[in-house]
Amino acid sequence: MKQRGRGIACMWYPIGFTVDANPSAATVKVNEDGTATVLTGTVETGQGSLTVLGQIAAEALGIATDDVHVVSADTDSTPMDTGAIASRTTYVTGNAIWLAAEAAKAILFETAAPMLGVKVSQLEAKDRKIQVKNYPQRNVSIGQVAHRSQVILGQPAIGSASWNPPTVAMDPETGQGKPFATYVYATQIAEVDVDDETGEVEILRIAAAHDCGTAINPMLVEGQVEGGISMGVGMALQEEMLFDANGRHINPNLTNYIMPTSLDMPEITVDIVQGFDPTGPFGAKGVGEPTAVPTAAAVLNAIHDAVGVRVTSLPATAEKVLAAIKAKRATEQKQIPA
Amino acid sequence: MNEHSRILEREKLDIAETLRDADLRLPAVAPREPFPIEPLTPDARQQTRAVGQRATRPDGRLHGLGQTKYIDDLSFPGMLYARIKRAGIACARIKRIDTSAAEAMPGVMAVLTGKEIPTNTFGPTFQDQPVLVDDHVFHAGDGVAAVAAVTEQIANEALDKIVVEYEPLPAVLDPVAAMREDSPKVHAPDSNIYATKVIRKGDVEKGFAESDHIFEGHFSTQMIEHVSLEPHAAIADWDANGRLTIYATIGRITLARADMARTLKMPMSRIRIVGTIVGGNFGGKNEITQEPALALLSKKTGRPVKGVYTRGEEFTSTTTRHPIIMDYKTGVAKNGRIVARQIRLVLDGGAYCSWSATTLGKACILSPGPYKIDNVLAEAFVVYTNKTMTGAMRGFGAPQVCFAYESHMDDIAKALKLDPLEIRLLNAFDESSPSPTGQVLHSVVVKETLRKAADRFGWEPRS
Amino acid sequence: MTDVTMTVNGQTRSASVPPETTLLQLLRDQFHLTGAKLGCDVGDCGACTVIVDGQAVNSCLMLAGQADGREILTVEGLASRDRLHAIQQCFENNGALQCGFCGPGVLMSAKALLDENLNPTTQEIRDALSGNLCRCTGYTKMIEAVHDAARLLREDSPAKLTHARPEVTAP
Repeated sequence: MKQRGRGIACMWYPIGFTVDANPSAATVKVNEDGTATVLTGTVETGQGSLTVLGQIAAEALGIATDDVHVVSADTDSTPMDTGAIASRTTYVTGNAIWLAAEAAKAILFETAAPMLGVKVSQLEAKDRKIQVKNYPQRNVSIGQVAHRSQVILGQPAIGSASWNPPTVAMDPETGQGKPFATYVYATQIAEVDVDDETGEVEILRIAAAHDCGTAINPMLVEGQVEGGISMGVGMALQEEMLFDANGRHINPNLTNYIMPTSLDMPEITVDIVQGFDPTGPFGAKGVGEPTAVPTAAAVLNAIHDAVGVRVTSLPATAEKVLAAIKAKRATEQKQIPA
Repeated sequence: MNEHSRILEREKLDIAETLRDADLRLPAVAPREPFPIEPLTPDARQQTRAVGQRATRPDGRLHGLGQTKYIDDLSFPGMLYARIKRAGIACARIKRIDTSAAEAMPGVMAVLTGKEIPTNTFGPTFQDQPVLVDDHVFHAGDGVAAVAAVTEQIANEALDKIVVEYEPLPAVLDPVAAMREDSPKVHAPDSNIYATKVIRKGDVEKGFAESDHIFEGHFSTQMIEHVSLEPHAAIADWDANGRLTIYATIGRITLARADMARTLKMPMSRIRIVGTIVGGNFGGKNEITQEPALALLSKKTGRPVKGVYTRGEEFTSTTTRHPIIMDYKTGVAKNGRIVARQIRLVLDGGAYCSWSATTLGKACILSPGPYKIDNVLAEAFVVYTNKTMTGAMRGFGAPQVCFAYESHMDDIAKALKLDPLEIRLLNAFDESSPSPTGQVLHSVVVKETLRKAADRFGWEPRS
Repeated sequence: MTDVTMTVNGQTRSASVPPETTLLQLLRDQFHLTGAKLGCDVGDCGACTVIVDGQAVNSCLMLAGQADGREILTVEGLASRDRLHAIQQCFENNGALQCGFCGPGVLMSAKALLDENLNPTTQEIRDALSGNLCRCTGYTKMIEAVHDAARLLREDSPAKLTHARPEVTAP
């Protein structure tokens, strides 16, 4: 018979390297027409980081995502970057790009201030215009300013910057210190059906609530959460690399190493919890890795809730769950007084 | 032309005019008229509050058209194909490698062994991993020799012609047994425990003494492969100026260039790493793999050399997720507040360190969970075994310890007849809570995520 | 060598290849259609999916010779010169592809489904995509995108959405 259960798991996860420096550098070039080109040494590994980094540059310059082109991943032409690791790209590379865009913008403001007859500190960049704060009708298009800056005044609006998350070394004896600049938080709740005759587990739905500070691109955040959950599903129920007694792999192929297919995935709801981290670009932190963290824990707690057995070694395969159910029944029968 | 008129003339370049024309972002096969679908946010890519927009990905369109060029979609004139012979034995001394029959095969342009690699070690923390093993095999997926041939098929056939004589040695497979003094050493004469981490806060013994209940839990996790759909792939091109260009599926090109410079003993200015769109990373493509071997094969042959791992090699010869053995002991007050927690983690580090030191650190720091606990002692060890190396994988040990601390938490809740949500809300970090390492936390929203998820799920306390 | 002639994305293509050549190798190496990917080479991952005579197949498991005389549709043949296919547009709008490596195969499986069934249930979509492994997306947005594409194809006139080149039809 199928038994239904629910399980909850929450987690915390840091952004960036543990204490060690993990800087990013970036260059933002505002073109003569007010579009921009970003140079970054990070690599697009599928998560959509280049789109997000473009959005950060666009926001800083007051232009649209489409106005920014991001050039990446060439050691000859792009600045150094610690790379697509440790959920750091939006936070660390994003900060570097934000700072570089601010530096480029400062050059534009120097040009625009006399055009508008105000001080630099009174300017803001918005809606593809450089305008006077609180007097948006007093504006000049960013293209006009960029062109004047570069072609007339000979001051191309190019900014470069780097950023490294601040940390404090950990004491070797006690581990006390500030190993990371910031952390994100998340909770996932899973509902499962466990067949108590076969041990088979079906994950019906997962409610995921994740913190990433400001969601620079909510659609891509959802994509990360959904993908992270699929990895968690595999970790919870299916995946395991096996070795024989001599240390040789038994299942080095996708026939015998089982990972989630479209049939294994539950219904997922993603909630992005309101958050703002003043140390991140426009309040953003990160989201890549933490999405995969709480899923297995939530699923295993749901199995426990459904059939009352605690599987303590992953993955919770049908064989393992069934063995645990049988062991529990055996114990319960022994306890029935004769 | 006076200055004024020049500016007016150039104003036509203004993006506000030109970029509204949607055609600008469309490739050759794009619609002339917008497709009749309502995007979730109309023209999200055109909004000038760029942050917060559900902007579509320009690379997403190319993926859907089949136009994205991954490494295996690239080829260069005269390009050769490389394959690597794998040891297939977990621990052995190499007595002899004979590549002469392979070298004599028509179509085979070069064979490379580990002895030809200028600095035959690499690794982000400890440089303990050979590019190709030369006198000792540390795990079954180790590369022993590499071949470059005019076709992949010939390269494969050449691997069978390479003769390697091994003296099998006892393999160390169990991480707990590997910790014992008398265990054979994976990297003799050093201890198999190659990194440790301790977090000590308050006094756990005192905390346990003050607790109303003590709970213990033992948990373990499995070895997991990243299964990026795109296998590890690279093309090396060593040109006549002695300058090396590597096209590679690597998420960290800055580190990759440093590793290449070190293994090849070359100045960095002579090395160019180009990262293409990586077909899935998840931590598995954070460092070099076959690239130094491809570079030297290109140098030997004067031709570009491509290497693409098979799915089998993805499992046997690239990094994986650490199996962790986790012991938890928690002291709890009557009301469910956690008073003290002691944790011991043993990470199976596989044959090489790779990102194990980082994983060890993160797992140890995160292992108490997102909870206010005054007394914490967490000790973590990572141990060499003769298995596929474990390294970075999405979460660096966090999914493993989360499985342990959250299973443990539910066991505690059940014993104390507390609702699982309630016990978490009771213990979870608040803004400015100190972490187990004494860090004052900011932007803490763990309780908000708990409430939000519970709301969405429809979580009701059960009596 | 085996001589093969087939229709690929509406064009007649011929090649002379060693008999062990797979359809995937033929498409990628001879015809330079690199959309279909090699992910496992044994039919487990579906990254090489193309449509042969209306059926989604793993092209790594089919010999080039077996495709002789048949009609092949690859991801490159999905869009017309002047517009994306509805499936491509909906995948883009939903952010349904991340690293994109599985994408060409997933899209072809979705195309084969929607050619048969313009009103699929979520379960039917899951079934149709079950042979295509994806590690990035958790399939969630892909399933939404296929639903969206089905809705579009149902609502719009078929003539407007059929791509410009001849459709592949069963023999």
